[in-house]
Amino acid sequence: MKILVAVKQVAALDEDFEIRADGKDVEPEFLLRDLNEWDDFSLEEAVRIKEASAGTPVEVIVVSVAPEEADETLRKCLAKGADRAIRVWDDAIAGSDPIAIARVLAAVAQREAPQLLFAGAQSSDHAFAATGIATAALLDWPHAAVLTQLSFTPGASTARFRRELEGGLLHEMETDLPAVLTIQLGINTPRYASLRAIKQAAAKPIELLTLRDLSVPESAVGEAGSLSRVRRMYVPEKGRAQMIEGSVEEQAKRVIEIIRAAAGGAA
Amino acid sequence: MAGTDTVTRVLFEDFAPGAVRLFYALGYSAIAVFLYGAYAQLRKYRRGAPAGIALNLLPRFESMVAILLSHRMIKRRDRSAGEAHRLIFYGFVLLFLGTATITLDYDILGPLFGVHFWHGAFYLWFSLVLDVAGVMLAGGLLYMMYRRGWLKPPKLDYARPDRAPTDPDYDRSYYRREDWAFLWTLLIIALTGYVLEALRLVWLQSRADVWDTRWWSPVGAALAQALHSAGLSDAAAGLLRWDLWWFHGLLALLFIALIPSTKVKHIVTAMGSLMFRDPQAAQRLPRERADAPHPGVQYITDFNWKQLLSLDACTKCGRCHEACPARAVGAPLSPRDVILSLREFANRTLSSAQLPAQAELDVHGKAPGQVAMETLWSCRSCMACVEVCPVAIEHVPIIVQMRRKLVEEGAMDPQLRKTLQTIHKTGNSFGESRRKRAAWTRTLGFPVKDARKEPVDVLWFVGDYASFDPRNQKVTAGFANLLHDAGVDFGILHDGESNAGNDVRRVGEEGLYEVRAEGNINTLAAATFNSIVTTDPHPYNTIRNEYPDFGGSYQIEHYTTLLLKLMRQGCVSVSGKLNLRVTFHDPCHLGRFNKGYDAPREILKLLGCELIEMGRCRANSFCCGAGGGRIWIPDPVGAEKPAQNRIREADRIDGLQVFVVSCPKDLTMFEDALKTSGLEGKFVVRELIELVREA
Repeated sequence: MKILVAVKQVAALDEDFEIRADGKDVEPEFLLRDLNEWDDFSLEEAVRIKEASAGTPVEVIVVSVAPEEADETLRKCLAKGADRAIRVWDDAIAGSDPIAIARVLAAVAQREAPQLLFAGAQSSDHAFAATGIATAALLDWPHAAVLTQLSFTPGASTARFRRELEGGLLHEMETDLPAVLTIQLGINTPRYASLRAIKQAAAKPIELLTLRDLSVPESAVGEAGSLSRVRRMYVPEKGRAQMIEGSVEEQAKRVIEIIRAAAGGAA
Repeated sequence: MAGTDTVTRVLFEDFAPGAVRLFYALGYSAIAVFLYGAYAQLRKYRRGAPAGIALNLLPRFESMVAILLSHRMIKRRDRSAGEAHRLIFYGFVLLFLGTATITLDYDILGPLFGVHFWHGAFYLWFSLVLDVAGVMLAGGLLYMMYRRGWLKPPKLDYARPDRAPTDPDYDRSYYRREDWAFLWTLLIIALTGYVLEALRLVWLQSRADVWDTRWWSPVGAALAQALHSAGLSDAAAGLLRWDLWWFHGLLALLFIALIPSTKVKHIVTAMGSLMFRDPQAAQRLPRERADAPHPGVQYITDFNWKQLLSLDACTKCGRCHEACPARAVGAPLSPRDVILSLREFANRTLSSAQLPAQAELDVHGKAPGQVAMETLWSCRSCMACVEVCPVAIEHVPIIVQMRRKLVEEGAMDPQLRKTLQTIHKTGNSFGESRRKRAAWTRTLGFPVKDARKEPVDVLWFVGDYASFDPRNQKVTAGFANLLHDAGVDFGILHDGESNAGNDVRRVGEEGLYEVRAEGNINTLAAATFNSIVTTDPHPYNTIRNEYPDFGGSYQIEHYTTLLLKLMRQGCVSVSGKLNLRVTFHDPCHLGRFNKGYDAPREILKLLGCELIEMGRCRANSFCCGAGGGRIWIPDPVGAEKPAQNRIREADRIDGLQVFVVSCPKDLTMFEDALKTSGLEGKFVVRELIELVREA
């Protein structure tokens, strides 16, 4: 049986970053890339199921819809115990919103036919928290979001899990399979991928798929296939705050000055 | 010496031929047991991995003999025990050579060629020398008994910090019994030898050649005189001699037979361990074998034969136990107990003809003989144990190789795991952007050259702590000013520098170390410079000793030697009137690792400081606790930290004003320890650079 784990290479901001000329994103050279933290937990959950499986062999497949630079992240997933890695890319995919990405993932899920599809509850950079659930909708599979605990025995036709609700409530659920589950931080402790393991994973192949391989039309992805668009990305102007130093008298004098200045020519 | 040409001792005098044959049969049996034991030990060592070292037998042998004859390792930090051991050693060697001489005369040259030389003047001198040797041996043994029985140094009580009293392998009373049995056996063999000598003299008192030359065996003669005056007849002496002869002979044969299976074997294994020692064991850790089936050491057979041999060389002298900073603050680690655990494990699993199943060879865990991960992670890789071991056991590589396996499994503190990931991602342990590495230069009034873009004379490898830690940045800027004012043509690598990897390697993350080392070596290859200087002893160590294994060989020095040169040349002028009472803490990686003891002290002298040494200084310096990646692992709450232990030691110096360090990590560790020990205000912690700037 297979577990498909959707992963994303997310971006974090480097020091003194700059916004791209078109104002819609950060200049790529100021981005530090890494595996999305939520996906680290969902991959770990899949690998643990594989390692605990007594009889049924389990195959863990990671998939990412991303350009070539995501290979590094996929290798890290292979180092952490994934058996195969798939990367889907086509220039037409650029500019896709989460729903368009979900169309691609759904096509991969149909091709691989896993029992479980894991996705992170959200990504740390864009935080739409939509991709996993949208994939479930497109596949017409049952789904559940923000899992904090999962028990599943490979070969079983259902999975049981727990979710945390507001107000300290716990939700224990059971779902038929195949299903899409999105995973919350803290469900487990992700393992350390040693550099040795990462180097060894470099020798493992990453399967490259195009839209054509998946029979997804170009019109279903990219800006053409997205109903939402980014208008601009910017740093809001910071509020002005200033510490006033010195003795009480000096501080009071300074406050009066500021008030006078703010009152303008009136004083 | 007229008339004494024929004097000798007749062997087996008055023995029936059957008795002589019986003795030979027992002798051969003892030798057979010895040989089988030796074979089993060799088979055990051969089950280890290849050591991958150059054998160079002759130079290795010579240096081993030099250490052995001088006893310079064993005398350290326990002079009396060292001198007592020297007496035992020389006494034993002379007595052994004496016995071998008799065998050569009686069993080899005599029967084969009819040549005998063991008589006359040679025999008399021989008797005298061996009598003196016996006194040395017995004297040394008696002191050791006094030491164990009355002085009872704590390092000999074998209390284990890594086990609870309820654990099955906590009890070390077996070792204590063996120690005493060893001392008593040797002493009894020596004393019965004298008594035998005396009884023979009384027995043969009527023979002039025997009685008249008796004072060539002064101890035996004095004893004979006493027995004679006590009224012992010659016939009674003859009878007693017969019984005692067999007792003495059988005990000696038993001793020989048991050499390979008891602590006596240290005679041989210590020589082997010393001979194959690696003078750079902790400074330059071993690379992973290319054909290794898994990283580091998981099974006992992953240790190389040299390591297995050195486990057997341990005499439990406790010098490492005493020197270990982790042990001193109650961490579950004693280097001695790691070695003894592994030895017991090797003896149990590798001694029979068949190797057990692989699962039984796993050295990680809490079962008897296994080493727990808490123990391995307690090590600061400060090298105190390796440096002081009289028989060249290399504990630090053993511990780091075992950690490599833990790292591969991710069996480590979560904070350490995070730091390693951070170093992989950002190239520094602070998780800061590469771009910020040279941000400290902005406070200087001058630009610092980029050695990648323009040639410099001196390339300064700054290191993570000196680059990113706000307190250390002030020192870093101070050093830049010193160099600038001295007119030194220097530059840095700016954002091209990354974590040097010294501590990453000592954590056991060898793959990440390789990435960092290779990255820095590539960056250095693109820069033009004559030599490297470092302000941080950690990068200093790895660049100096370990980068050559990865193709990067440089002329490199620590800032203390460069600064001393500049001061002597007058390029850095100081008033020399600081008049401070200071003490100096030797950083492990500058002192013990690279023998940089003198330059900082010379500088302090030039500054006009009064240096008062702490008890533990130079080679015996006490680690601040940050080494081996421990700076990234939280210390247990409530327990004393090594740095606090050290600060309290400094506090015992009357009127101390400044605790001087010359390592960025030391500055961080000791400023913190000063606060947490409640001693703030009594004295201050300063970088040597700060004192030079002040002067």
